[in-house]
Amino acid sequence: MAEDDADIRCAGGRAPDPLVPGGWLEMREYGEEPVDFVIVGTGAGGAPLAARLAEAGFSVVAMDAGPFWRPLEDFASDESHQSKLFWTDDRIVDGDDPIVLGSNNSGKSVGGSTVHFAMVSLRFRPDHFRSRSLLGYGADWPIDWREMWDYYREVERVLHISGPVSYPWGPKRPRYPLRAHPLNAAADYLARGAEALGIDWAETPIATLSAPIGKAHPCVYRGFCVTGCSTNAKQSALVTWIPRALRAGAEVRDRAMVGRIETGPNGLATGVHYHRGGQWRFQRARAVIVAGYAIETPRLLLASATADQPDGLANSSGLVGRNLMIQLNQAAWGQVDDEVRSYKGPPSLAVSEHWNYRDEGKDYHGGWSYMSQGPLPVTWAKTLAGGRGLWGRELLDEMERANHSVGLKMVGEALPNAANRVTLADETDQYGLRIPRVTHSYSDNERAMMRHATRFMEDSLKATGARETWREMGDTCHLGGTARMGFDRTTSVVDADCRSWDVPNLWICDGSVFPTVGGVNPSLTIQAIACRTADRIVAMSRQGAL
Amino acid sequence: MRGRSLALPLVRILLRIARPASREARAATFFTGGAAVLAGSVLADSATEHYRGSFRNPAMVLPLLSASASLIINGGGGSFSRKTADVVHVAAGAVGLGGLGFHAWNVGRQTGGYRLGNLLYKAPLGAPGALVLTGLLGAIAGALRESRAGAVVPRLVTGRAAGAVVAFGLAGTVAEAGLLHFRGAFHNPAMWLPVSIPPLTALSLARDVARAIPSPATPYLLAMTATLGLAGAAFHAWGVSRNMGGWRNWRQNLLAGPPIPAPPSFTGLAIAGFGALLLLKGRTHG
Ligand SMILES: Cc1cc2nc3c(=O)[nH]c(=O)nc-3n(C[C@H](O)[C@H](O)[C@H](O)COP(=O)(O)OP(=O)(O)OC[C@H]3O[C@@H](n4cnc5c(N)ncnc54)[C@H](O)[C@@H]3O)c2cc1C
Ligand code: SF4
Repeated sequence: MAEDDADIRCAGGRAPDPLVPGGWLEMREYGEEPVDFVIVGTGAGGAPLAARLAEAGFSVVAMDAGPFWRPLEDFASDESHQSKLFWTDDRIVDGDDPIVLGSNNSGKSVGGSTVHFAMVSLRFRPDHFRSRSLLGYGADWPIDWREMWDYYREVERVLHISGPVSYPWGPKRPRYPLRAHPLNAAADYLARGAEALGIDWAETPIATLSAPIGKAHPCVYRGFCVTGCSTNAKQSALVTWIPRALRAGAEVRDRAMVGRIETGPNGLATGVHYHRGGQWRFQRARAVIVAGYAIETPRLLLASATADQPDGLANSSGLVGRNLMIQLNQAAWGQVDDEVRSYKGPPSLAVSEHWNYRDEGKDYHGGWSYMSQGPLPVTWAKTLAGGRGLWGRELLDEMERANHSVGLKMVGEALPNAANRVTLADETDQYGLRIPRVTHSYSDNERAMMRHATRFMEDSLKATGARETWREMGDTCHLGGTARMGFDRTTSVVDADCRSWDVPNLWICDGSVFPTVGGVNPSLTIQAIACRTADRIVAMSRQGAL
Repeated sequence: MRGRSLALPLVRILLRIARPASREARAATFFTGGAAVLAGSVLADSATEHYRGSFRNPAMVLPLLSASASLIINGGGGSFSRKTADVVHVAAGAVGLGGLGFHAWNVGRQTGGYRLGNLLYKAPLGAPGALVLTGLLGAIAGALRESRAGAVVPRLVTGRAAGAVVAFGLAGTVAEAGLLHFRGAFHNPAMWLPVSIPPLTALSLARDVARAIPSPATPYLLAMTATLGLAGAAFHAWGVSRNMGGWRNWRQNLLAGPPIPAPPSFTGLAIAGFGALLLLKGRTHG
């Protein structure tokens, strides 16, 4: 644990300035005196809340199990080295289709998974907020899409999203703050395929700068995005919300692993037990917000069971940990004559949401989008070995042709299914905490969507002249659903404000609250919900309703 | 060495303006000066941009050759024969027009054709236009040097034509700057300057051409536009420094950042604009 000590950076009244090598920002410290809010997790859910609540004048301590990076000096252009960004603590996966956890779905850093996310920043299709009533599947959200539209706008501004001037799908949206990036060759293949098949495509709205903003440089199109962006062009929570939170007086505690939420005799949360600097400590708080993402959030709630709440905190509905949803991440790949070098630039510069907005011609429920791809070499080798079964000489030969490989990948909506869930295993981790067991199986609906999507993407590739096309059927990405929001306490864990039905001073605000995941990447929606929650907390506090 | 070789023609131009000479001759000097600045801007800009494009097409060296020749002819302060000069001006016009056509064709064949993304990032439609303008300004200067009192083409006609060329050139350059600054989302408020001052200048000059009387505002606007061109280069140098690695990484950032040689084309056009004013003013002197 001496190593832990050495790497704690937020201390002594200062926190790293993620935008300046060796830089520091002044940081207010609260010690262990009670604060208004302790936030567990500083990713897409936790970071905006820390900033917005501190700005509203609340005392806030935001804890993250991961380190506080300065990308300019801490990030190497090396896939293996950068695995330091992923959450790779022990977990057990089972079910008929166990999920591969780690790089593709979870992060452990101040800034959370957004430090190595792929930056695709899409809005939900409005109808997908009411898929049960309008489209006959899944569950309705208790939030109206028009309200979300305003919060999307706020987040797009904060992240300086680069996007097309006109977006082909859905209700009219205001112009993105920055112009779209130029297409790389991989994106051009998506565009050409879409034109050949007669459907719309667009430059992907994406959270990396196409112009310099403040101390952040514009994107240099080197394509290391999913291993962490070393130029700070990527608008992760680390370089956007976190400095804002610090300036507003929030305290960030890096390398602080929360193991249990404590509750008092009245059933209210009183604070959190956390492990930092080699020892367990207790932070008292008037309210607790959990934002640890769809596996760690239910794990913490389940681990915080008490005599009064034996099934886990905030779990009278029995839904904590249930309805875990992945997003389908199947792909089609092929070979072309030109040198594509698809790893150049952000991986997904072009997108088609055609099948999010079109319901006809499907033998399944739900929507999906697909994007151009740009795997880095190690990832590509793993794809070829795992997804295609190549090994030895064959694998080497295929790697030689990597510059001519081109692919499309879907982000598809998996349906909520109570049997897909997070529970606690008996094994423990390095902190002595019970590790999560993640159980997952596909339903026929997902299989039908995969079939349709991979066929369609393969057709698109073929329409551009790609040969030797093949489908990668194994991959999943993005998690959601394990503490869903809803209209009442029997069918959901939190209400529309992300406040738990059972414990009024416990809030859950991250990817876990999604009742459905839609066919788009989740981070913009998570951040929009976090901003809304912050506004709701401020409003309720004014009305004395906290 | 390099400084001296640049300074000499400049000094010669200044002397020529200062020396009492015919109005035509003085105006010609403005046009030559403007053409020289434009040629310099085109040379540096096409050199960097076509280098970035790896000179994939052999024709991509043509604007470099043509702009270099224009720079020598116009910067040389009239020490070349009229014939040589004419060949160079015509060549600049031809290469510029060819470039316009080629860039337009090139954008059109990209995925999505003339959609905004291609207009913003693919071969710039306006850039070769600056070479056409270089040729035109040079040719106007040549024509003016030839003309004597009682010339075939009266001063007023030349003045109006020249003014129209400059106003039109300014408008085109504004459009180009506007498009590229839109691409940069006007992230710095100074990026609005080239789409606010030069358009006024172009309008003012166009009005002067139409009414054949120079208005008192035009010289001020021209001076502001000329200064803006130089300030623009400085702003772009700052813009380059804001890319990853800053000026230490100049080999990459000169290509990735805003083009430093582009804004001085405003300066070149504004200098020529003074020549046009001189002719318009002098229209009564026959
Ligand atoms: C490779 C990759 C690419 C992605 N690409 C995209 C994309 O292009 N577009 C998009 O919209 N989304 C993308 N995502 C998904 C997106 O990053 C996540 O959905 C989003 O960040 C989740 O937000 P969150 O707040 O729920 O959790 P996170 O952002 O993961 O934050 C959770 C944080 O909580 C901390 N934490 C958890 N438990 C504890 C605890 N007990 N104590 C202390 N700290 C704890 C973790 O260390 C972590 O930092 C991608 C994800 C990955 C991994
Ligand atoms: S391609 Fe752009 S966003 Fe991706 S790592 Fe490089 S600079 Fe960052």
